Amino acid sequence: MIVGARQGTMTRLRRLVSVSMAREFSTFLIPGPDIARAHGLDIAAAGIQLSASPRHASALLVIGAVPPAMLKAAVVVYAQMMRPRAIFVLGAEDISPLPSADIATGLSQQDLIEGMHQLRTLFAEGAFRPDMSDFDAPVLQTRIEYTCPMHPEVVQSEPGSCPKCGMTLMPRQAQATTGHNHTNHKEVDATANEQTVSSHDHKHHHSMAHDAPTKYTCPMHPEVVQSEPGSCPKCGMTLVPREALATQTHELADMDHGSMDHGAMAFMSMIDVTQDLPRSIDGLPMEWIEVPFGPFFPGLPGGLLLMLTLDGDTVAASDAHTLIENNDFPSGEPMDIASFAEHLTGMDPLVPVSYRLLACRALENAAQVDVFADIARARIGAQERERIASHLGWLALFGRQTGFDWLMRRAASLQLKVQNADFQQVVALRPEITVLMKRLHWTPLLKSRTVGIGRLVSDAKLRGPVARASGICEDARSKDKIYEMLGFTSAVGQGGDAFSRLHVRLEEIFHSLALIEAAGAIALPVPATIGNESGKGEAVVESPRGMARLELTLENGRVSAAQLDTPSTHHLTLIDQLTEQQELADALLAVGSLDLSPWEIQQ
Amino acid sequence: MTSVLILLLLALGAYLVAVLEAWIASGHLSLATPMLAGIALLGRESIVPRKPDRIFFEVGPVLLLISALLAAVVVPLTPNLIITDLATGALFINAALVYVLVALLMAGWGPDGAYAMVGGWRFLGQLIAYAMLIVMPITAVAMRAESLLTTQIVVSQAGLWNIVYQPVGFALFFVAAMALAFLPPFDLPTATGELAGGVEAEYSGVRLAVLRLGRLVLIITLAAATVVFYLGGWQGPWLPPWAWSALKILAVTATMLLAGRAMPRIREADLLAWCWKLGIPLALLNIFLVGVLVLVFP
Repeated sequence: MIVGARQGTMTRLRRLVSVSMAREFSTFLIPGPDIARAHGLDIAAAGIQLSASPRHASALLVIGAVPPAMLKAAVVVYAQMMRPRAIFVLGAEDISPLPSADIATGLSQQDLIEGMHQLRTLFAEGAFRPDMSDFDAPVLQTRIEYTCPMHPEVVQSEPGSCPKCGMTLMPRQAQATTGHNHTNHKEVDATANEQTVSSHDHKHHHSMAHDAPTKYTCPMHPEVVQSEPGSCPKCGMTLVPREALATQTHELADMDHGSMDHGAMAFMSMIDVTQDLPRSIDGLPMEWIEVPFGPFFPGLPGGLLLMLTLDGDTVAASDAHTLIENNDFPSGEPMDIASFAEHLTGMDPLVPVSYRLLACRALENAAQVDVFADIARARIGAQERERIASHLGWLALFGRQTGFDWLMRRAASLQLKVQNADFQQVVALRPEITVLMKRLHWTPLLKSRTVGIGRLVSDAKLRGPVARASGICEDARSKDKIYEMLGFTSAVGQGGDAFSRLHVRLEEIFHSLALIEAAGAIALPVPATIGNESGKGEAVVESPRGMARLELTLENGRVSAAQLDTPSTHHLTLIDQLTEQQELADALLAVGSLDLSPWEIQQ
Repeated sequence: MTSVLILLLLALGAYLVAVLEAWIASGHLSLATPMLAGIALLGRESIVPRKPDRIFFEVGPVLLLISALLAAVVVPLTPNLIITDLATGALFINAALVYVLVALLMAGWGPDGAYAMVGGWRFLGQLIAYAMLIVMPITAVAMRAESLLTTQIVVSQAGLWNIVYQPVGFALFFVAAMALAFLPPFDLPTATGELAGGVEAEYSGVRLAVLRLGRLVLIITLAAATVVFYLGGWQGPWLPPWAWSALKILAVTATMLLAGRAMPRIREADLLAWCWKLGIPLALLNIFLVGVLVLVFP
């Protein structure tokens, strides 16, 4: 029996249906395929079909330790799945508020295959159950409120008629959650997304020049006017400068409601309906809808929540944050060296080696310990291997986002091969990687899809491949003596668009291969033995996403304070400028081309 | 009798398309996959979203299926195996397939979800791109056959198939047909990585089964139309006519399904720009060339 069975007794026909369902199974991954691969799970080899929408999935796969905010969002995903539905947890202890798991196993490929087998058996036997109760969780609670179709500012919890025009109030659902995935609203539902709406600033409204002191008004409620920026007391939207809305607000505000009050709304003209809506840059009045992309969106890294305000299919405003709470230094208590290194290693499952190396280097710097050249070389081997794996993982995500199926599969399977390969195995993979690159070179539509998308000019925020694609030759490795000895050159591109970022990453894969061959060994960094040293230390590491910096303080051989600076934290702030006024697909591609890791973003 | 036979053949064809598609996607050939998937869908809940436009939501998938079936009515598989040999057959295919747009718009609008809505409207843009490139190559085909009868079009290719006689027209029609069937790289309305399924995203259970069936029938119908217009229909040596039709249709379907896997999805702006700035002039050139050929070698 599965927990999320569909109601009904098991008749012979239903048994047949259950067997079919058990055979044809599609799953929804939490946090996403990127994390599955980071844990060494080969989803395709286990015969698992990925589902893009929770509506089409039969099972929810929860992979690894998942932060609480993400579990909360997973509840919404689970609620959107059609019954019968099952939950399969790999390597996580507590998954509340999700209902209890049907299968819970460890985190290995073997467990995955065996677990899927068990799950299929369970499905075949217990997809239907006569006594089913609805799944409910506090996250899903919705409250009904009543509002007037003509006067959106009228909102009350009881049915009745509008005090302004006497129309019968319409019920609507006010949702109190924030981390939702596929809940869509046709209108900008201020109550539902209050938190995110208020953080927008509609930049394009600022474009008009003005000398007089600016007054701020709400795009939805022209009667709200104040001299300072802020949010609307009625709907919580960010107030915009009044000049931007001058044509509507100044002359029409009074007339609008005045005429409506006198029962003139028997004929609903387009002008009446749209005049209070926020204006697009092209002047075409359209409904703006706020659409969440994430936190488990197929084309974006798992855990990243991208809120886009769509004006048609053009992005009018955006807001991005991660659902992963990140703490570079978890407790105020001093930590011993080994557990500090472990903590940093586990922080970002997408690039564990880079952060481990960063911790080791900063510790060694604080204690002023030198490592032998051969150890340093082997560490570089490990780090460059991770860079290849990470870039391949990005290619797989890029393939999934753009519907380039072949690339998605090929890059994903190569990433799994590279990730934990030893020196000989990595070197032996060179021909396969070369074939992939050659094929990409001749792929039709790839250039037209990426050229000019997400263009970035040089900016202090840019790090790593994103910076190098914009022509900034910034690479923490170029200052490293051992890298110099190994013959390191940094890959610099031009153009600063998604195409250039793709090419810089491809080139870096080859550079990293050459570096590994020159280093001659691969070994994970291990913190050096440090006695009861005290002091301050800092280190930088060029992680696959760019330079990460760590400063820490040692007190009697224990870490008492640490401060981390990561590339994705800076890149997250670029999303606004990258997506504004872009077509939806271009905006998503631009965000994807940044290769953000939600796990290292510090908010 | 013929109608029943053709409908059965269409169902078989749609099933084979599903087998092919699953084979290409997973790398394993399994004849049972589509059947199991279909039964599984029927066994799952099919819910109506929170604030649907109920009529549009229910009608969309059915209309897609009907539209594809209507177009199949005038496609001949052998000289006699055709439901109705309309005098305006070639035009009728085009007319019937216009409802694909209506169906997708309805399915996009109906559930009141942002992903589906964007997907539906995207297909409207797509129609503006491909529509002329369906009609104009058909015009050139009809010019050579001097008839709109689909059977006559096949007969006209007895000496030389249209794919050789008017290769430009074939290329344009093939691409436009893929765009009409929203196959990758033209899967803008159902994009997985951009819209999490788009038009399909809010459908589930039996409604999703109908929507997917409609899409499969649409693919097989368009492949059959391509065979009739450009690949000499049932004609071919040694094998019986029905076998030639079947082989050619399956080959065209496989090409359509494989092409999209090797490239990223097209940008909607590029699709429109190329179809109008490049496609339409080429289609006019094709009509002109065919006109000259028809006059010079009658």
